Amino acid sequence: MEYVKKEKTIALAFPSLVISRLGGKTITHCYQCGTCASSCPVARINPQFNPREIIKLSLLGEKEEVISSDAVWLCCSCYNCQERCPQKVEIADVIYALRNIAFEEQKSPNIYLEFASALMNNGRIVPISKFIEKKRPDYGLPPLQPTGIEALNKILSAIRFGTSLQKEEAK
Amino acid sequence: MDEVKVGVFLSDCGKQLSEILDFNALTSYVKKVSGVVLVERSSEFWRGKGLQTIVDAVKDGKINRVVVAESLPKLSEVNIVQAVEKAGLNPYLVEVIDLKDHCAWPHRNTPKEATEKAKAMLLAAIERAKLLEPIEKLEFPVLKSALVIGGGIAGMQAAVDLADLGFKVNIVEKAPFLGGLAARAGRFFPTDDCAICIQSPVSDVKTITHTSRKCVYRSGFSKIPNLNILTNSNVVDVEGVPGNYKVTIEKKPRYVNELKCIRCDVCTPVCPVEVPDEYNAKLKTRKAIYMNVPNVHPPVYVIDGDACKFHDCAKCVEVCPTDAIELDQKSERTTLNVGSIIVATGFQEFDSSIIKEYHYSDYPDIITHLELARMIDGFGPTGGVIIKPSDCKPAKKIVMIQCVGSRDRRWNTYCSSICCMISLKHAMLIKTSHPNADVTICYIDIRTTGREHEYYYERAREMGIKFVKGRPTEVFRDPETNKLIVDVEDTLLKRFLELEADLVVLAPAMVPAESTRELAEILGLELDEDGFFKEYNSKLRPTETKLKGIYLCGGATFPKDAPTTSLHAHSAAIKAAKFLTTGKIVKDQRTAIINEEYCGDCEFCPVTCPYGAINLVPTTEGHFVAQISDLLCEGCGVCVGTCPLNAIELRHSRPNQMLAQMKALMSVNGTSKPLVLVICCSECGHTAVDSSGMAMMQYPANVRVMKVPCTGILQVHQFLEAFKAGAQGVMVVGCKSDGCHYEVGSQKAEKKVELARALLKEYGIEPERLEMFNMVFIEGDKFTEAAHLMTRRLEKLSPLQIMGGS
Repeated sequence: MEYVKKEKTIALAFPSLVISRLGGKTITHCYQCGTCASSCPVARINPQFNPREIIKLSLLGEKEEVISSDAVWLCCSCYNCQERCPQKVEIADVIYALRNIAFEEQKSPNIYLEFASALMNNGRIVPISKFIEKKRPDYGLPPLQPTGIEALNKILSAIRFGTSLQKEEAK
Repeated sequence: MDEVKVGVFLSDCGKQLSEILDFNALTSYVKKVSGVVLVERSSEFWRGKGLQTIVDAVKDGKINRVVVAESLPKLSEVNIVQAVEKAGLNPYLVEVIDLKDHCAWPHRNTPKEATEKAKAMLLAAIERAKLLEPIEKLEFPVLKSALVIGGGIAGMQAAVDLADLGFKVNIVEKAPFLGGLAARAGRFFPTDDCAICIQSPVSDVKTITHTSRKCVYRSGFSKIPNLNILTNSNVVDVEGVPGNYKVTIEKKPRYVNELKCIRCDVCTPVCPVEVPDEYNAKLKTRKAIYMNVPNVHPPVYVIDGDACKFHDCAKCVEVCPTDAIELDQKSERTTLNVGSIIVATGFQEFDSSIIKEYHYSDYPDIITHLELARMIDGFGPTGGVIIKPSDCKPAKKIVMIQCVGSRDRRWNTYCSSICCMISLKHAMLIKTSHPNADVTICYIDIRTTGREHEYYYERAREMGIKFVKGRPTEVFRDPETNKLIVDVEDTLLKRFLELEADLVVLAPAMVPAESTRELAEILGLELDEDGFFKEYNSKLRPTETKLKGIYLCGGATFPKDAPTTSLHAHSAAIKAAKFLTTGKIVKDQRTAIINEEYCGDCEFCPVTCPYGAINLVPTTEGHFVAQISDLLCEGCGVCVGTCPLNAIELRHSRPNQMLAQMKALMSVNGTSKPLVLVICCSECGHTAVDSSGMAMMQYPANVRVMKVPCTGILQVHQFLEAFKAGAQGVMVVGCKSDGCHYEVGSQKAEKKVELARALLKEYGIEPERLEMFNMVFIEGDKFTEAAHLMTRRLEKLSPLQIMGGS
């Protein structure tokens, strides 16, 4: 029995997971004042999305409810909530952390998978049609440059993006 | 010095100990130690016959050093020491050890080993006793007068208390009138009566009855004997030592002679200057010569020097019937000599304009509670009517926003604790005078923790005040209707609300008063991380500071409501009175001493001393040496541990005394286990060892305990000396690093241990032989666990061989 100098942090499994992720560490500061929700332009028009609720559910360990729903994907990343949060919760970043967890657990909506594979294959999220390419000079735009897809894939494979994506697609 | 004659007194606690320890062996062992001339054994030595034996031996001159092995020495030591002192021997020549809790009980299963450890403990006590030196009593004079800084309710109450007790009191207020924040607040919760009343002073004046409370203006405050009121004044400098402070006060010109003014009010109508009245939230204007409200104290006009153009006007001088106006007054400095200082500088509202989204400085109809209080006050600028400052029309819809800048990591992380009650109070006062007003409070949590406070919340709900649980994100103005809109989520209903408001009232955080930091520097006091004055110990010494004779009260330490402020003020007054009453400080010279020859002028010790007791003074040879004030020094020894040149020693814990003790403790093993030296601080560390013994927790007898005043005294080379003396492992046991009784000792020791471990590694000694542990009295189990851990750890290592070791 080794002498224990520092006490261990006691927390539920899911909040601990979020804390360990990039952008997630401030989640426990939240005291549910609702400043984020009233600052949120999405919450105004879409009752499915409420940042305060997402954080509350995460802190209570309701993992399935948080990552399976569409809510986390509705954030428009305006960072208004994060600017005004009195507890300095990095709300938008917490939501990114939640999205990353959802993606790893194969819970992300299909449209994002399409984006992801488009990115891996073409280096662009939006597919470029011949029609668009032809039209560009008409608007005074230069022709599109090659996307450097090899370098991009190197980076993506370094963060094991491809494997996660394959798993996701297999589902 | 006379020849050292040690008397050893062994108490067996009525067979409790003799069943475990072999007292015959101990007696014969002790008798052989050089310097020991007398060995006595009894069942107890701390009272009755036993104590008389010691006293007689001292009186007869048989012995001049006393070593007592007694159970529960922390209880009995006082008795022994007092008796010995009466008998004519310096009390610092007595050494008391605990053979029960430190030896017999924790090793009750291994009596032989315990006896060997007892021998070592006795030898250590004897060796230390032989080197002890007498310590004198010092006396320092204390002036029987006090200074109270701040004339709000805290300062006034403390001043009344001290003056009533007969001390000469000076109260300094920076504003021209007394009352502070309280005067502006109008009414107070939880009684709803006026804010500006204080306890009625004890007085012989016929018209002043001693009722429960009095308005300041009729309290006879200015007539209290011994009380000197200095308004419009600041403390600019403080010199001196506890009991004798020399305070420089700067009195700003009032331009009105306080003794001549009869407040007839003929001066204000003729004054041509009009400026916004800050006291009344700029809701009205005032003249350059003014009084805040008619019932202020002192009841004397003041001229605002910045606003007045008296050089070419002087109309007030012409009309004044008593020639009270003196336009040639200048700032003047006076010095006061006081024994004690009470700091009662209070708090102020946080500047809400910093929070941009609430637009406090953009829209006139957004105000703070202090401004609202002026509107509610009948004496205030609106005569009690709630108006919109933008057009002066009555405000019907009022929205209050809580926690503006408090509970906010961006500005002030703490809860200001009184704002919820202020909002409830104001909401109800508005509702009472304007029943049709629509009042909404947006809150995060309503905190009504005080006595009768929850009743306020209940009554507010009954009165139809609306509550929205949610912190608004923004207040904006509708460009078409010009109405204010408060944008908030009702988190309970999960509904987004846009509350229309005529008037928005912010509840700002309460932050330290403006000049707190400057004053702290002048007085040499510490501030906490929120910028408030830091008390000596928040649990047990809430009004004291590290500096003797300087006390704190009221909002200067944290935002407080009126009842708590009163409580705090009375408490500070009684502490100050206790300090002043005897007219002197009596103190043992158990302090640090500098060897000036060695002092290298390095500034380490003055910076480290938690009590500011060390100063660098110039010598005749042109360099500086450290000088220790016996008055301020508390005898912790942190400076000893810090000095890189070993120039400082503690009179009652000299290095040679400690070394002798170490060597003696390590001289006898008697067990098959490697010897462990435990160096404990005399506070939490030593008591943790006590508590493990008291609870009969078992640890092996190879663990030997040595006491030092504070672990901060330890120097790196002392750990090496311990190993050289024969220790196989060293444990340093101190208070928790944030709970050191001398503030910084534990932290210093931790660093010292870290450094020593690095050095040990260099020397090829395993660094894990040395470790620091932090514990408090109740953690005896932690000590036992640590003792076992260290022993097991050392058993795995091969024995330490040091050249020149014993």
